[in-house]
Amino acid sequence: MAGTALVLEGLTKRYGTLAPAVDALSLTVQPGEFIGLLGPSGCGKTTTLRMIGGLIEASGGRVLVDGRDVTALPPHRRDMGIVFQNYALFPHMDVAGNVAFGLEMRGMKRGEIAAKVEAALDLVRLGHLAKRRPKELSGGQQQRVALARALVIEPSVLLLDEPLSNLDAKLREEMRAEIQDIQRRLGITTIFVTHDQAEALAMCDRIAVMAQGRIAQLGTPHDIYEHPASEFVADFVGRSNRIAGHAADGRLNIGDLTIDAPAPVAPGPVTVMIRPHRIAFTAGGAGWNEVRGSVRRVTYVGDVLACEVTAGGAVFLVEQPTQPGVPPPEAGAEVCIAWRVADTLVFPRETA
Amino acid sequence: MIGRAAHRALIAALFLFLLAPVVLVIPMSFSADAFLVWPPSGFSLRWYTAMWRETKLMEAARNSILLACLVCAATLVLAMPAALVLARGRFRGREALVALLTAPLLLPTIVLALALLILFVGYGLIGSWPGLLLAHLLVALPYGIRVLMTAVSTLPPAVEEAASSLGAAPWRVFRRITLPLMLPGVAATAAIVFLVSFDEVVISLFVVGPELTTLPVAMFRYVESRTDPLVAAVSALLVLLTLSIVIVLERAVGLGRALGK
Amino acid sequence: MRLPGLLLGPALLVNLAIFIAPMANLAALSFHEARPSGGVGPGPTLATWASIAEDEYYVELVTGSIGVALGVTVLTLLAGYPLALFIHRAAPRWRNLLMVACISPLLVSAVVRTYGWMVILGDTGLVAAMLRFLGMAKPPRMVFNLTGVVIALVEILMPTMILCLLAGFGRLNASLEEAAASLGAPRWRVFTRVVLPLSLPGVLLGCLLAFVLTVSSFITPKLLGGGRVILLATEIYDQAIVTLNWPVAAALSVLSLAVFGLALLLYGRLLRVVEA
Repeated sequence: MAGTALVLEGLTKRYGTLAPAVDALSLTVQPGEFIGLLGPSGCGKTTTLRMIGGLIEASGGRVLVDGRDVTALPPHRRDMGIVFQNYALFPHMDVAGNVAFGLEMRGMKRGEIAAKVEAALDLVRLGHLAKRRPKELSGGQQQRVALARALVIEPSVLLLDEPLSNLDAKLREEMRAEIQDIQRRLGITTIFVTHDQAEALAMCDRIAVMAQGRIAQLGTPHDIYEHPASEFVADFVGRSNRIAGHAADGRLNIGDLTIDAPAPVAPGPVTVMIRPHRIAFTAGGAGWNEVRGSVRRVTYVGDVLACEVTAGGAVFLVEQPTQPGVPPPEAGAEVCIAWRVADTLVFPRETA
Repeated sequence: MIGRAAHRALIAALFLFLLAPVVLVIPMSFSADAFLVWPPSGFSLRWYTAMWRETKLMEAARNSILLACLVCAATLVLAMPAALVLARGRFRGREALVALLTAPLLLPTIVLALALLILFVGYGLIGSWPGLLLAHLLVALPYGIRVLMTAVSTLPPAVEEAASSLGAAPWRVFRRITLPLMLPGVAATAAIVFLVSFDEVVISLFVVGPELTTLPVAMFRYVESRTDPLVAAVSALLVLLTLSIVIVLERAVGLGRALGK
Repeated sequence: MRLPGLLLGPALLVNLAIFIAPMANLAALSFHEARPSGGVGPGPTLATWASIAEDEYYVELVTGSIGVALGVTVLTLLAGYPLALFIHRAAPRWRNLLMVACISPLLVSAVVRTYGWMVILGDTGLVAAMLRFLGMAKPPRMVFNLTGVVIALVEILMPTMILCLLAGFGRLNASLEEAAASLGAPRWRVFTRVVLPLSLPGVLLGCLLAFVLTVSSFITPKLLGGGRVILLATEIYDQAIVTLNWPVAAALSVLSLAVFGLALLLYGRLLRVVEA
């Protein structure tokens, strides 16, 4: 299966006179690429996926598959495999029947269908359950049937609509790896919609973080996490200390503190963001921002120790892995915390 | 604990009250007496044999069965496409259309019956098969649309979209996915519509003629003029028929769902 | 979208032919006058409406029907509420069976159920026999008068009422009652402060339907009333079939629709009050 290039050009969905659900969204997906659409609910990610699949009509823009415009095609002629959030398995057919359905619709011969169904079920390790009905399967098994059903038709594009959100935490991680593995092996161009940033970071080649119907940032998981383009992205992906401050003379004032910025910054109000686990109980050095403060509260979460430290009128959340033999700081203790200047994220703040 | 016992007794009494008329026609139908007397002085099958000789009643029963089947078929043909559009569609005026199509259920049947009578007289439809069929459709169609709409809206989500994404054209989606999944709902609709037509009496009273009448009308006329246990025998059979259909409905979709909204 | 139109078309057409057109025709007919020789005179005229408004008989008919309907509604609610609550609280495996038992009479023809009441309430019926057994020499008459009609109507409308009440109880779960009890409310306070208020929408809907169905009830008053209980519906029938005065029957129909409209309006108002 050679990957297919998918291009979205100014894709738009409007409902009545409301603000557009998807607003002139453009995206070029490389053949075989695994792209995540990540965002909070209502950001337009599922609407985008459904427009790609032809399940809803676009109000404007185009969808191109290998350069061919499919915008006007109904879903049954788009050749895209869709895995739905609730799996949407056909309850009146057994597992094999579900997987065979798409092949039957393509008018394939019985023998050929049987062989392909078997191969597809083997791919998702469900060969032994071919005669079961969907409701006799666990959530994870249903998920795999849905995946096999979408893959067996060898679609040009695979669309995954929050496929893991109905599974429990442990199963989710297993399926994460399995989907990623199958996708790599088949080299199938895949769009993956999720609201779970950890899922997106772990699975995708590139992530499009969406907000209000637009792409807020497109980049590799590393880019998105380390160099968020906006306060929204930094806040949505990963956790952050978020502190109001002011930029002056190339440095940052927060409360009574003054710290260094990673890059030249225009004077004015700013939001300073620092990932809690990038702050350490240590004295800094060159290239570090260092702050003295007192511990306000300590929370022990097993593998992680979370401390709130007040310094210069601001509160810093510090998260460090627990270490053997190192006693945790106590509430009220005076401490020195520090983080690399490069880990200081600065965004201009809109003043009302 | 006295309060609890009193409560129990009250519930039991209310249950008895509710079921008494339907249940009591059964022992009464085996009465050996010539009149409605409780307790019967003896039991016999005389009214069951008498029933078959009452040609008017028997002919009316045949008419009612045939009519109910026709109404059933016509309702399914008309209501199925309408219910699909109404349950799925997201167009303006949808609510108004649903209200319009189910309105006859809310209005007094006597008023509907009179309206049909006046119109039918002008077209010579009184006492005719087309007239009866149309008249029964007036109440059967809204039931059909309502029950089928419930059936459509309780379909598992996204399965049709899934079929479509797998390459099934709309007609094949309907035949392979929608219709098979709706089958219990269709069975429920057929059962309810059959009973609605078979039991319908007010509208029928206005549009039947001397040559063509239905069972409930014939029973109504019989009870109006005579009070003997013959109608009890017919009623007992009707109760059994209803009971069997209730069981079908309960198995297919659950009675509450079929009758409720 | 052409397809939806095509799919809806036939049903709409039938609706137009056997619902909209006849109803419009009926309303129009009330603005004609019956000729003394039979048949309908040319319209439009308010003569029929005027004759109804002036005739005390019709005024009493309308107020009387409304009165009977209100009475039946209240009795149906009183009889249906304990049963509905009992079913709602029953263990799941019993609940379904009880519900089916309670609402399946709905599917039995009104003729059969009314006939059943004749068996029970008739002069030689079950109740009379029991009263005689208890020593009453001359049991009171319960058929061919209002008593029998009201008793039968209450029973006939109970399944509808129970169905509405059960739907209304949907918002009520055991933990709410337990919460109220744990906060120190005695059983009757739990009922008046938690159960009853939450079930009010169902109560209102049940009452609306019971009222409306009583006003338009025909078979039961006709058979059990034996011509002595005259309600709006039986009068419409007599005017249309016996007297053959269609304009009066049409006007009475429009009147009963108006009663309906008022009931619906009141229902809407009350619903807004209880849901606020």
